[in-house]
Amino acid sequence: MALRARDVSIRFGGVLAVDNMSLDVEPHEIVGLIGPNGAGKTTFINCLSGAYVPQSGKATWKEADLLGRQPHELIRRGVVRTFQNVASLHDLTVLDVVKLGQAVRHGNPMRQLRDMLRSERARDAELIRTILQPLRLAEVAHQPIQSLSYGMRKAVDLARALAAQPQILLLDEPVAGLTAQEGAMMSRVIRDVRDRVGCAVVMVEHKMDVVNATCDRIVVMASGARIFEGSAAQVQSDPSVRRVYLGEP
Amino acid sequence: MLMFTLQLLVAGIATGSVYALIALGIVLIYKCSGVVNFAQGAFVMLGAYLTYGLVKLGLPAYVALLGAMILMAGCGMASERLVLRPMMKAPLVAVMTVTLGMLILMKAVCLAIWGPDQLAFPRLFPDGAVDVFGIFVTYNYLAAFVLSICLSVGFLAFYQLTPIGLMQRCTADNPRAALAIGIHTSNQISLAWSMSAALAGIGGALLASLNGLSLGLADIGLVAFPVIVLGGLTSLTGALVAGLLLGVLQALTDGLLTPVAEQFLRTYTSIYSAGALQQVVPYALLVVVLLVRPEGIFGQRGTERL
Repeated sequence: MALRARDVSIRFGGVLAVDNMSLDVEPHEIVGLIGPNGAGKTTFINCLSGAYVPQSGKATWKEADLLGRQPHELIRRGVVRTFQNVASLHDLTVLDVVKLGQAVRHGNPMRQLRDMLRSERARDAELIRTILQPLRLAEVAHQPIQSLSYGMRKAVDLARALAAQPQILLLDEPVAGLTAQEGAMMSRVIRDVRDRVGCAVVMVEHKMDVVNATCDRIVVMASGARIFEGSAAQVQSDPSVRRVYLGEP
Repeated sequence: MLMFTLQLLVAGIATGSVYALIALGIVLIYKCSGVVNFAQGAFVMLGAYLTYGLVKLGLPAYVALLGAMILMAGCGMASERLVLRPMMKAPLVAVMTVTLGMLILMKAVCLAIWGPDQLAFPRLFPDGAVDVFGIFVTYNYLAAFVLSICLSVGFLAFYQLTPIGLMQRCTADNPRAALAIGIHTSNQISLAWSMSAALAGIGGALLASLNGLSLGLADIGLVAFPVIVLGGLTSLTGALVAGLLLGVLQALTDGLLTPVAEQFLRTYTSIYSAGALQQVVPYALLVVVLLVRPEGIFGQRGTERL
């Protein structure tokens, strides 16, 4: 078992945002995390990626505890995430952001010194070829991210995560706000990344067509808890899932 | 007259480059943590006194200078860890007031150890001067200029080109995003404080080698504020340019304007001396800049206004 989360709960004041949530993810598996708005999907991801500390529960990644650690510690263990709303960074170029992803993975100063000694241009070319090219971002490598479209900025965020050499990639609504075309491309890219990098993926997403096309397994959350788990076809035909989505009796 | 003006210009550029070095540190801290560091002047003074102290211990001048720089880096880091980090959640005004307190404290410590009198600063650079087309540049001024420019350029290269510099820039740009994408932001802020203090410390030693060593060096921190306001609080290049500009203006005021003003006063009034007009210039300039272009020459609109 690669990721193993057990009975994770987090409460904000009177709201139990995540309620005894459990999730297992195998290496190389793409798991979709779906559910209506407010189901606690993003909050759960925030607990796994170090943004929140849950009040109870346990989560391990390859036997190492995850909960309560800072994001910079988790990234060095290969737990990397992307964001629903891409942060605005004024001065940085696309390539800068990708380099940041790489830099935070290797916290150790000796490695950074060694990297500094290598030719800047060779390093840049390698990043552009291996990370930006597959995401069709090579042409904009030296542009400030502020000048890009929303869809491209999301791709940059993914590129940043990939540069951190993830072992498990937590994607928070990677397709939200993208055009259908961009969404289809993102879906292909995610599967391709899994095949190439060999990482596990957990993606929170609303668009069912993308989830169906991308994920090996789907977990449905409602009111902070897991209510169903199965393949795309099973999820669509399950009455409890239909109830939370459509409000059927 | 022309030669004299050029001579003043050279002296002004040398002093100005040191101002620039000191101002760089203030901008660095401001960008990274949003704090306007009033203790920068104290770092300047302490750097000079530590160099003095290390030379008195028998170290060669260059080793003392390097040692003082390292000690100042430690001092900057300690200030951040011990004083500022516990105040992380406090309002910015409170944090800035604490930096003012640090200034007073460090001045008191230096007063207790080294006394109130001006001290003869050890010779860091050999006596003598180079003759550039009739303008004499003493080694002191030349060394201050060369060292300041090298350190400034080296620092900017570090900031722009290395992975750690990139993390610094990202932290300065958006600290919350930096934290979320896995940058250890509090370490970056520590680093900014230690680099800033180290630059200020070297700047202090250089200024002391030009003008002598006294507690008054801490007031240089106040001159640095017009510099960064002039350059725009967030612009490192702005700090460099404004530092040079201010140094030149001060030298020209001292050499050209003061004698004229004094002559005028002596002729028409019973006032004998115009005092230190060059010390007024930075603030006069500050007022003008704030009136005309509050975001500074290189600053972006929306920068917090002082």
